[in-house]
Amino acid sequence: MKIDIATEGPSNGFNFDNCARNAMLQKNGFVCPTAVKTGTTIVGIVFNDGVILGADTRATEGPIVASKNCEKIHYLAKNMYCCGAGTAADTEMTTSMISSQLELHRLNTGRVVPVETANTLLKQMLFRYQGYIGAALILGGVDSTGPHVYTIHPHGSTQISPYTTMGSGSLAAMSVFEARWKEGMSEEDGKKLVRDAIAAGIFNDLGSGSNVDLCVIRKNYTTEYLRGYEYANLKGVRELSYDFPKGTTAVLKTNVKRFEITETIRPIDSGSVPMETA
Amino acid sequence: MLSIEDFPEYQIPGAKQVRFNPYESNGGSVVAIAGDDYAIIAADTRLSSGYSIHTRHQDKSFKLSEKTVLASTGCWCDTLSLASLIKARMQMYEHLHNKKMSTTAVAQMLSILMYNRRFFPYYVSNVLAGIDENGEGVVYSYDPIGHCERKKYSAGGTAGPLLQPVLDSQVGLKNQVGVERSPIPMERAKAIIRDTLISAAERDIYTGDGVIFNIITKDGIKQERIDLRKD
Amino acid sequence: MEMSGNDWMTAKHSTGTTIMAVEFDGGVVIGADSRTSTGSYIASRLTDKLYQVTDKIYCCRSGSAADTQAIADIVRYSMNYHENQTGCEPLVAEAASEFRNYCYNYRSSLMAGIIVAGWDKENGGQVYSVPLGGMLIRQNCTIGGSGSAYVYGFVKEFYRERMAKDECVEFVKKTVLHAMYHDGSSGGVVRIAVITKDGVERNVYFAPPEPLPNVSPVVRMVSA
Repeated sequence: MKIDIATEGPSNGFNFDNCARNAMLQKNGFVCPTAVKTGTTIVGIVFNDGVILGADTRATEGPIVASKNCEKIHYLAKNMYCCGAGTAADTEMTTSMISSQLELHRLNTGRVVPVETANTLLKQMLFRYQGYIGAALILGGVDSTGPHVYTIHPHGSTQISPYTTMGSGSLAAMSVFEARWKEGMSEEDGKKLVRDAIAAGIFNDLGSGSNVDLCVIRKNYTTEYLRGYEYANLKGVRELSYDFPKGTTAVLKTNVKRFEITETIRPIDSGSVPMETA
Repeated sequence: MLSIEDFPEYQIPGAKQVRFNPYESNGGSVVAIAGDDYAIIAADTRLSSGYSIHTRHQDKSFKLSEKTVLASTGCWCDTLSLASLIKARMQMYEHLHNKKMSTTAVAQMLSILMYNRRFFPYYVSNVLAGIDENGEGVVYSYDPIGHCERKKYSAGGTAGPLLQPVLDSQVGLKNQVGVERSPIPMERAKAIIRDTLISAAERDIYTGDGVIFNIITKDGIKQERIDLRKD
Repeated sequence: MEMSGNDWMTAKHSTGTTIMAVEFDGGVVIGADSRTSTGSYIASRLTDKLYQVTDKIYCCRSGSAADTQAIADIVRYSMNYHENQTGCEPLVAEAASEFRNYCYNYRSSLMAGIIVAGWDKENGGQVYSVPLGGMLIRQNCTIGGSGSAYVYGFVKEFYRERMAKDECVEFVKKTVLHAMYHDGSSGGVVRIAVITKDGVERNVYFAPPEPLPNVSPVVRMVSA
């Protein structure tokens, strides 16, 4: 039996010494490779017959737009999707890992996996990594107990709420929800509200931009992933042609080498070895 | 002089040192092209800080005379203070010498005003465009502490690093053989500025909303506007 | 340049909080505000900081939301297991001791101030406080979280022993409301739970509208 006295502190859990080392290197002037962040607007609401998730489609690397049409609503299970904000790689890998765990769980139990299960898996994973996995998530789905929306923060705290927003555009989007969200909204009104919340983020937050993606998950387990639900911004049309005429690039040196190619034909005796057809 | 960083034992883990930072980056981009007898200088109209937009309609150009326009981005409060200083000094010049300041004179003065603040600089990226004494279009570009260079085209601001190579290729015709190096017509210069800023708005989050062009000819300065994407 | 005022990624999500628990004859009254903040942003105005550990044991969470949720989930699991194995309801002291073990052993990596309160048939209503370093102490009445600093005086002045249940509810409500008023990181509504041998009774109280400030009569300076 383990005697719980005079122990030398906790030995289990992960070791984050390298994180402190990296912070020290950075402080001393080391330039770290930058990760793509989705300075984002993501939202989720509960409506009359299910949940609606929404996201913008801009990914940034500092002040530069890294991707103009990235996917931020990730698949978890047939009855669950998850919006991700924060470090792009972290949201992508976290959701895909949890997605496969959920599928195994579904196959083992033979039932629709509850949304709470996904929430628990996500929060326990993120807590173990103590916030070093920069994934801020909105988990939405339906199960036998109805529609649910969870907010999951990078450190592993979660909360359940009927409407929620995350990412750098969360303030803009939340102002739309606080003004207009109501209990028991219709799907049409819900989609309009979510679209408006994302648009508020797209136009008022510089970290968010491009298009609106929606995902509707209904109580009857039908889902509708509306990729490119609205193109909030159209690209300006350029006037001129930027094709270079042939020969614009200078040829500095020409060196022609002649190769002598000799061919011999060797007939293959096709009768001796039968072809493997098994 | 020793500062607190030199005494590691005074650094408390978790404690955050807050210092006053007199500068802020308010974003924005400027493009200018000079032709034989004209100069065009254009800037986007978005004024922002961090992840939020202050306004979508900020004209970042300053008409200094009938022949000279300054456009600048960076710390907007520094821009305003610098612009009013220039205007005051130009008026003093006019009273003293009983003539208008030429574009080249303004360009030189701007360099001196900036270098005056060598150790507490104006945090601005300036591009000056105009017509010189010979009626030729000119562009001057600056760094924040007064380095000044006379050019035929220049780009500055947050999307400067994105825009400048395009200008080098399309206006400067750099590293190209067999192309005709004739003076660039005004309409083409305008189209290039328009197209480059449209593309900059695609990839730079601090550039967008709109563009204000200042077209400087011997007949005066004309302003034109176009829209950019607003996200 | 740092993106100014944009700490949603880096700032730890915390329950800058007011929590409270009072024993009375036959049970306990626990209360909390409902605000969760991330830096200066109110991440939630409807948080439930009263967490059910077993049927008749609750805990009030303050500090880092992630840390307190993680510990509470573990203790709830462990208490449930204990109950299934022994066939009897766990004591409040057992739950509190378990909280203390986690808070003490991991004290260098946790930010958790927890109040454990509940009813058991051995000792009736009990309140235990597990503050930041991982101490465990039983108290008749305790307050916690950032908002508590503003109401120590109020509690010292108005707490009496052997208050009736309704008096306790009123006392907790008033204390939390005062703390919410003065503490910027506490706010929202007051959530109160009463735990007795019969189970749990939960209520929500809204903060009253701001009273108009007393307009003092204008003092005119009249020169003699």
